[in-house]
Amino acid sequence: MVLKIAKFGAILVSRQLGKEALAAFNSDYKNLGNEIIEVDFENLEVLAPSWADEFFTPLQKELGKQLRIRDNGNDSVTGTLRLLEETNKIKFNFITKS
Amino acid sequence: MINQDIINIKEERLGIKKASDFLHISADTLRRLDRSGLLKAVRSQARGHRFYYRKDLESYLFNNLSAYTEKWVTAKHPFLPYQSIFCQDSSVFQGRLYRVLSDLDNNLGPSNNWSILVSVVGEIGDNTFGHNLGNFPDVAGLLFAYNLNKRLIVLADRGRGILETLRKVRPGIKDDAEALKVAFTEIISGRAPENRGNGLKWVRQNFERLPWGLTFRSGSAELLINKKDKRMLIRKNAKSFHGCLAIINF
Repeated sequence: MVLKIAKFGAILVSRQLGKEALAAFNSDYKNLGNEIIEVDFENLEVLAPSWADEFFTPLQKELGKQLRIRDNGNDSVTGTLRLLEETNKIKFNFITKS
Repeated sequence: MINQDIINIKEERLGIKKASDFLHISADTLRRLDRSGLLKAVRSQARGHRFYYRKDLESYLFNNLSAYTEKWVTAKHPFLPYQSIFCQDSSVFQGRLYRVLSDLDNNLGPSNNWSILVSVVGEIGDNTFGHNLGNFPDVAGLLFAYNLNKRLIVLADRGRGILETLRKVRPGIKDDAEALKVAFTEIISGRAPENRGNGLKWVRQNFERLPWGLTFRSGSAELLINKKDKRMLIRKNAKSFHGCLAIINF
C-alpha cells in the first residue's frame, strides 16, 4: 500500500500530533500482513523530528524492511529521517520514487 | 464586510494611555518617539491630545520585535502580548506555521530552506507546549512573530525554562548554561519517563549548516550560533527570567 503522509497535514511538527497520527494509522497497517508500505511525501511541506519520532520510529521498529520511504527531495523530510536514524539507531529503507 | 472591519480596526485611533498599554512603553517614551519622528502621533488640533493609529503602533511593534519580545518574556509583572502574535495553545501555533510558510514563499520567493526553517521554528514552539502544558508559572502560551523584511523570527514563552525541565530527568545539571548545552547537544527529553528528545539538536544542526543566526536564552544563560562563523557559544546573561526566548536571523 502507499501511505500518503500529507493526509495527516502539510506541516507535521508536533509530538502529540505524531502520536495521534500513528494511532489513527494503527488499524490500517496492523491488518496488512506482509504487504509493503511505501510512504509517499508528496504535498508534504514540512516535517520535524518530534512528529516523525512518534510516527516513523515505532513503525520502522515494527515493520523493518516492510516499510519503504519514497525520497521526494524535501530537505526537512530527508534531514529529519536521517536524524532519527542517528539518534534511535534505526535504518530507513529509502527508495527512489517509482 | 470583514475586510471593511479590518480596515476600520487598522484606522482606529488610540489615545496615549491605550497606545502605552499596546506597546508596553511609558507615555513619556511615546512622547519622545513622537518628537524624534520614530512613532508619529496625530493630533485633533495643533496643541491637542496625541492619538496613534493602530496600524502605526503595529508597525512600530514589528520593527522593534526583539525588544518587545524580550520585554514580555522578562517582565516582572506578566502581561498578555499583542493578540495577533500570541498562541494560547498549540493548535493556534500550528495554524500560524502554515501562515509563515506561505508568507515566506510569497514575500521572499520559494526556497528549499523554508521547509527547514519552519521545521526548526516548529520544534522550538512545540517544546513550549510539550514541556509546559498545565505548568506555565504565569502566562500560558507562546509569543511567535516575524518580520520578513528584517528576516527575523522570534519565539518566547514564560514557561519553566530549560533547566527546570531537564532537571526532571537529569537532576545533576548544575545551572542554566549546562542545561542549554545538554539540550542542544545531547539526545534527551525532559518529559519523563520518555527518554528521547532531539528537537533542539535538530535546531542546532541546521543553524550550524545554513546561513542563519540563533540566540536562545533561558534562565540566566544564552546560546549563540553566529550567522557567519557558525561557532556555538554558551554564556551567562545578566538578565534572568524563567522561560525561553529564541531570536532567529535568517
